[in-house]
Amino acid sequence: MPQTFPSWKAYACALAALVVPGLGHWTLGRRGRALAFFAIVTATFSLGLALHGALFPFHAPNWLYRLGAVAQAGLGLLYVLGRLLHWGHLEAKEVADVMFGYGNTFLVTAGLMNMLLMMDVYDIAVGRKA
Amino acid sequence: MLKDHFLSLILFSILVSLFFATMNHRDGRGFWRSFGKTMAWMVLGSLAFAYLMLWTSR
Repeated sequence: MPQTFPSWKAYACALAALVVPGLGHWTLGRRGRALAFFAIVTATFSLGLALHGALFPFHAPNWLYRLGAVAQAGLGLLYVLGRLLHWGHLEAKEVADVMFGYGNTFLVTAGLMNMLLMMDVYDIAVGRKA
Repeated sequence: MLKDHFLSLILFSILVSLFFATMNHRDGRGFWRSFGKTMAWMVLGSLAFAYLMLWTSR
């Protein structure tokens, strides 16, 4: 019988992924998976920045960029840190880069992956998934 | 090297395939089968769609 957590603890474990990708799985004792997810999400995030993608601000003029910001915010602390340190700053020369679109795809995907990780952690914590 | 479009496709497919295989499978065999299937669909599917766009644009 898989261990189940009370609701508040399940939410806390899920939200841990916002601090560090994979931390939610680590709190559930799934250390190997936690490390794998950490490597995958941070690699996707790093490649996105290397490909000159942008971390979109919530106040972007374009609605599509604002939607992208919502997805990227799934990275939690990584997104906040990146915005504060001006990683992937949205400016004309970056937008003109031929790999800009690919970089954005990697960054948005990294954020969405982390959101999926949070949902996975919650499902495991409440016993819906083994 | 990072300006190569095909390399970007391969890297993206690898990362996404690894992610879903890790999430959905615990056994080694299931993991690699899932990884391979997802990779194949993403890479071959993208190439097929790219050629379709090329042919229909002529």
